[in-house]
Amino acid sequence: MDVKTINPILEAFTNILPQIGFQTVEKKGVSLAASPLQYQGILINIGVLGPLQGAILIGMDTASAKQFASKMMMGMEVTELDSLAQSAISEMGNMVCANACTQFTKVGIEGLDISPPTLLIGNDGQVRLAVPNVIVVEFAVDNIKVMVYVGVYNK
Amino acid sequence: MSIRIMIVDDSSFSRAILADSLQQEGYEVVGEAECLESLVETYNKCKPDIVTMDIVMPGADGFECSKVLLAHDAMAKIILISSMKDEQAEAEARRIGVAGYVQKPVEAEGLRRVITGVASPDSLYEQLVNWSIDVFQEALAQSITRMTKAITTFSERTWSDKEVSQGITVVIGIIGHYSGSMIVDLSQETAEKMAEGILRRPAKNQEEIMAMAAEFANIVGGVACSMLNKKEQAFGLRVSPPSVFYGVQTKIVSPTIQLQGIYGDNDFGRTYLGIGFKRGRVLWM
Repeated sequence: MDVKTINPILEAFTNILPQIGFQTVEKKGVSLAASPLQYQGILINIGVLGPLQGAILIGMDTASAKQFASKMMMGMEVTELDSLAQSAISEMGNMVCANACTQFTKVGIEGLDISPPTLLIGNDGQVRLAVPNVIVVEFAVDNIKVMVYVGVYNK
Repeated sequence: MSIRIMIVDDSSFSRAILADSLQQEGYEVVGEAECLESLVETYNKCKPDIVTMDIVMPGADGFECSKVLLAHDAMAKIILISSMKDEQAEAEARRIGVAGYVQKPVEAEGLRRVITGVASPDSLYEQLVNWSIDVFQEALAQSITRMTKAITTFSERTWSDKEVSQGITVVIGIIGHYSGSMIVDLSQETAEKMAEGILRRPAKNQEEIMAMAAEFANIVGGVACSMLNKKEQAFGLRVSPPSVFYGVQTKIVSPTIQLQGIYGDNDFGRTYLGIGFKRGRVLWM
């Protein structure tokens, strides 16, 4: 898939994060990575169907995920990634991807649907997506490192 | 016939006030419980159409009680009633799968609207939940037998939103009239044996094993969704491409849906299959 077509996803990310308590959203870099990818910590998997198919994943290491959940919960201390923190983070994934579907319609890609989020929490894990190359976007959200992996192809 | 309601609240005063306003609206209050301990027993006894649930209670709170009740009866229709209403509470309520949320002090008009909405049955969703685990189990057994001739036997079913992976997890999103997720999980050893069974030679590398797991889950999901669509065209279910996760002690969490799960055992080992769909609507006010 063309790197340009990930713009709606970047747009969605930059739109939604300020709505849920974050001040700054900086894009640090975009790269291509071969599947399987390595991951540490938490990954939100959201399936995508329609003119584009595959999955969008959002990942953070455990320490970042705790910070992130804490910000979402208005500064409440998060010492472990309990179900409330997991729920907050997956809700963010859901909001970003739902907004991305709206952003895609603005560039003429209509009828995208997303599945409910599934969280994978582990260390030294690998993930294999249904595409050979995955677009990886690194964000710093209030200085918390958040990775977005876009593994979709044109139908 | 009037709608039958059960009230869960630790305060007898609050129960009395709520019961009174419900009765004035023409609803029948068929049972009351004050804590987790008497919840399921009372529910079984009075078989209500709707349960109203206070959030703040000593011991197990309304969220805990809702989880227990939904684990007992996935079709239970719960309306949370609380003075507390913030994003966290809402997110948690959605995650658990309650049907409605009403803020205290309760206004008759608003309460009536939520009750009417919750009581009108989403029979299509209920049908899907009732059929899905049988159909996915059948699709899993069929697919293994077709590819390897192995016969699979199944364990008892479980309800859960959290599992620890046995090693390899395939996640497939389902989209249609209702959206959901399917999870297929198996150990590295089981996956290796299964790959050998399907390929009729040992897998060359980890990539081949993960590709096999992806393809297998994709077939099971596709077959199951076709079977469900054949039973009820309105479901219109389709599967998204699989993501395969591989690692040590990975936790799998589905925060917005409750999975019905089952373990299938065959010559290759044990395969977990989890399937869950999101309830179509939650009513909030």
